[in-house]
Amino acid sequence: MSSDPAGTIYDIQGFSVQDGPGIRTTVFLKGCPLRCPWCHSPESRRFDIQLSWQSRRCIGTAVCGLCLVSCPRGAIVPAEGSQSTDTEDGLQLIRVDWDTCDDCGLCAAECPAGALSMWGKRYTVSEVVDRALRDRPFFEKSGGGVTISGGEPLSQAEFTLALLRALKENGLHTALDTTGFAPWAVVEKALPHVDLFLLDLKNMDGRAHNAAVGVPNQPILENARGIAAAGGKMQIRIPVIPRFNDSGGNLRALGKFVAELGEAVTLVQLLPYHALGVPKWERIKHDGPILEATAPSDKKIGELKAILEEYSLTIQVH
Amino acid sequence: MYEFSPVAPRVARVRKRYRDTKPKVCIERFKLVTEFYQNHPTLPPMIKRARNLLNLCERMPVVVHEDEFIVGELTSTYHGSALFPEYAIGWIFDEIRSGELLNRTLDPYDMDQEDIDYVMQFEDFWSKNDLSRLTDDALPPEFHDIVGNGIVTFGDKGTGAGPVGHFCANYDKAIRKGFSAIKREAQEKIDLMKGRLYGEDAQREQFYYAVTIVCDAAITLSKRYAAECRGQAAECGDEGRRAELIEMAEALDWIMQNPARTYHEAVQCLYLYQIVLSLDGNLHGLTFGRVDQYLNSFYESDLAAGRITRERAQEILDLFCLKVAEMNKIWPSFATMAAGGYTSGQLITVGGIKKDGTDATNEVTYMLLECARRLALHDPPMSLRIHEGTPDKLWDIAVETTRACGGVPTFESDKVIIPALLDRGLSLESARNYCLIGCVEPGGCGDDWPANGGPGQETFWRIPGAVLLAINNGENPMPRPDGQPQRQTGLPTGYLYDMKSFDEVLEATKKQIEHFIDWHVSFCSVREYVARHHMPLPVVSATMDGCLESGKDVMYGGAKYNGTGFAGVGIGTATDSLVAIKYMVFDRKLCTAREFYDALMANWEGHETFRQRIMKEIPHYGNDLDYPDEIAEWISKVITEKVRSCTGPRGNHWSAGLYPVATHVAWGKMTWATPDGRRTGEPLSDGISPIQCMDTSGPAATLKSALRIDHRHSANGTLLNMKFHPKALEGGGKDKLIALIKTYFDLDGMELQFNIASSEMLRDAQLHPDAHKDLVVRIAGFSAYFVELHKGLQDDVIRRTELDLA
Ligand code: SF4
Ligand code: SF4
Repeated sequence: MSSDPAGTIYDIQGFSVQDGPGIRTTVFLKGCPLRCPWCHSPESRRFDIQLSWQSRRCIGTAVCGLCLVSCPRGAIVPAEGSQSTDTEDGLQLIRVDWDTCDDCGLCAAECPAGALSMWGKRYTVSEVVDRALRDRPFFEKSGGGVTISGGEPLSQAEFTLALLRALKENGLHTALDTTGFAPWAVVEKALPHVDLFLLDLKNMDGRAHNAAVGVPNQPILENARGIAAAGGKMQIRIPVIPRFNDSGGNLRALGKFVAELGEAVTLVQLLPYHALGVPKWERIKHDGPILEATAPSDKKIGELKAILEEYSLTIQVH
Repeated sequence: MYEFSPVAPRVARVRKRYRDTKPKVCIERFKLVTEFYQNHPTLPPMIKRARNLLNLCERMPVVVHEDEFIVGELTSTYHGSALFPEYAIGWIFDEIRSGELLNRTLDPYDMDQEDIDYVMQFEDFWSKNDLSRLTDDALPPEFHDIVGNGIVTFGDKGTGAGPVGHFCANYDKAIRKGFSAIKREAQEKIDLMKGRLYGEDAQREQFYYAVTIVCDAAITLSKRYAAECRGQAAECGDEGRRAELIEMAEALDWIMQNPARTYHEAVQCLYLYQIVLSLDGNLHGLTFGRVDQYLNSFYESDLAAGRITRERAQEILDLFCLKVAEMNKIWPSFATMAAGGYTSGQLITVGGIKKDGTDATNEVTYMLLECARRLALHDPPMSLRIHEGTPDKLWDIAVETTRACGGVPTFESDKVIIPALLDRGLSLESARNYCLIGCVEPGGCGDDWPANGGPGQETFWRIPGAVLLAINNGENPMPRPDGQPQRQTGLPTGYLYDMKSFDEVLEATKKQIEHFIDWHVSFCSVREYVARHHMPLPVVSATMDGCLESGKDVMYGGAKYNGTGFAGVGIGTATDSLVAIKYMVFDRKLCTAREFYDALMANWEGHETFRQRIMKEIPHYGNDLDYPDEIAEWISKVITEKVRSCTGPRGNHWSAGLYPVATHVAWGKMTWATPDGRRTGEPLSDGISPIQCMDTSGPAATLKSALRIDHRHSANGTLLNMKFHPKALEGGGKDKLIALIKTYFDLDGMELQFNIASSEMLRDAQLHPDAHKDLVVRIAGFSAYFVELHKGLQDDVIRRTELDLA
């Protein structure tokens, strides 16, 4: 392969075990066309490399303060009030004025403690493959492989397709964790190189879907049918979000739809909403509404699971 | 999933008693030993030790507690601690005087005032006669010049405080042969040589006499317990218990003297021999070895004959484990920081292969793990030997056990350990029959005197100290505890700011490492020379393969195989330290050597941003990165090559190891700031694990880094501690964990151990200890109840990167 395209990645995790069979290395691509208010990795949504601020790591402006003078736009100021009580020893911390910041990264380069850092980094396909191959012995023992996740990996289509192809050339098992929101032409190209799709389905009601996440569900559902028809394998993942998609009616509609996909679906996972992602929003520039809700009860999840089971599906709760 | 059996009500009662009883210091042993030593100053040490033991077995109180079926005590009280004045006792006088003894926050003990008064009368006597003093006085003058070097641990005084421990006696022989037969064998040797003592025969004859005496001691103690059981039976109103007491008496009358006939007798003999060994030898890493292999044939024949059920066998084993858990030894207060949690290190090994190479798993293997898991016991600690044919069911119960009981069992790889022991000279059969000793140290089971812990505690060697001395002209920057000015204790290898290249740094480090390994070996040689003279171990030698044949005590090299173990502490810290110098000063030139040196010597004070930058910028060991891992590999090679070239007093080679028990925290306190950005007093890294929280690339990467270290030539053990979030084991997580371990072992990793606990849970346990009384965690070399640990160790467990797999 002569060209070695690059993509924007925000994390590569070794030994991730929830993203498909066996021990896996998961590559998280940056950027997503959806805007789910319950997103638990908000730093994955924008396509460009962006500044992130973790108060926990800051050592305070008294001994440091390098960022204050490094920002050409004056977007960093000493924090007032609440933020400085974040640490026990009452350090004077900083605050980023997100409206002024243009993510130039100068402050992150200066910050010695890694409190200010840039989310996202460009990697070429061969760099990612080299990294993944280091974990190969673990894949072999466990029946694992590489999962490409996001963000929405199919949004960086050229990179993702090249990466999938390269992984397969090296004989690795591949999984693609996707929202399903991509042109069929892209999905079709990916198909031969994907051993398992991890496909998110949220709501069968197109209007509600569009209103909550900003895109229609139609292309997603069509892609699911297309994958099934082409003989692809899928794990369906259903996030359970209070008052958005947790009604019995929606679960029945989902159950029916998934059942119709037939043998293509190997497993259905219910992913109950949790609020663990909420604090992460503080670290970056907001770009959409944030949902703060209480997690669904075990009882509720049990009921929903029972509904799906009526459609003879294998269900797993995460 | 593996189905655990229920806990019998009486076992639950005994467990409750164990957890609810505050240990108490008992002075019965102290009294008898003091009296004996005062009355017999002229006996040759070999005979003195044997007769001292006989005296103890004849006169120690014999106690059989309610609900007990397996019996034996070191003290008159339940869950008590005996005192061992002939080893080292100065610390207790100090702690009594300072009031610390009764006011410890860690490992608290009760002690009666009259007992305290009694003990205090003998301060003068013991301060002139204990092994510690005898060692101090034997230490050649040149050793005093290097005290305070920060690498080899010893001082001007109290150098011999650690007892000789860390071995596995031949329990199988005690069970299957009995002490009558052993005594007869020794007597025959005497009969052959008496009246014709040529060459070294006088020494050999003394040894054989000592063996006959300790055999009598073992038999005597057993018969006294039998009598006690009969006495209690006579007064017992409960018919069932009366029958049981008589059954116990009959077994106790038979065993020790004769080969055990039943499973019950075998378990009782195993335990009572341990009691006899401990009465003599100070309960310091007295390892049980392959208990499943000792016991299974008895279990099977009882089962076939209809004498026992699975439930009864489990109950007996439960009661045995609770007896082991009950045993403990009061340590000096400062030592509880490094270990603590009333831990006694009586390690049991299960699984693995048999001498013939086939899978050794049996019903007792499962029953032992059931004991740990169902009773939430960290003591006795357990090691599971893994090989290609380890059954899935055994994997399953092992992971389930460690999930509930942090670090129990540890996972050990036959694939690496057996060849490592063959290298040490063990025969194929002996190597296949290995067990783990103390914490993680491989050794022969009943035929090897591996001295894994060195001749006492001083086997630990601080690797980061060598880096510090290398760049500071042989001078330890840490102020000396006695307030004396620091001085040059190492080689004059120059200062960092004069070094022109990183190779010069490495060269200097290598010189200091080799120099101080030589000092360490020298020190251990002196210690062993003193200890062998004053503290021979005929009670161990009586069963140990090779001793009766050669007529030599284990301390004199009588065992079939011999070794001395080395334990390097803090390779992660040392690696990242060298990486920091290479990266910041020489490769990236982000600062001058002078700036780096000055900041380090100031303990980073006034240089916080610089310190942060180091920690952020440098590539860290534990992330499968060549840059640091090559250095880890280099350090491990320098150490193992040097250590393996050294010889010990029994004609043996030394063997290298990389594990810390839990000294990495205590010694961190005594170690100056290190170039990786660690501040003075902070913990060192543990085993071959990366620095706490610097392994951010996930467990597979950590393991890949650890594999750069030469496990095959670290025959004294390596240790890698990992913490997983409980969620990680949900769903298919368990199989993935198993695959992770299998891969590590396939790639020639030696040992792995796990804590399955979340940081939130551990923090909550710090705040609400009562709600988490039974939470067992692994620290490094041992497991303990979390709430009984020193805060520093607790924090260390919490800080360990949590490998949450979500
Ligand atoms: S990233 Fe934002 S805050 Fe940082 S220097 Fe650039 S503009 Fe300023
Ligand atoms: S540069 Fe980083 S550590 Fe320093 S004050 Fe700014 S955010 Fe804090």
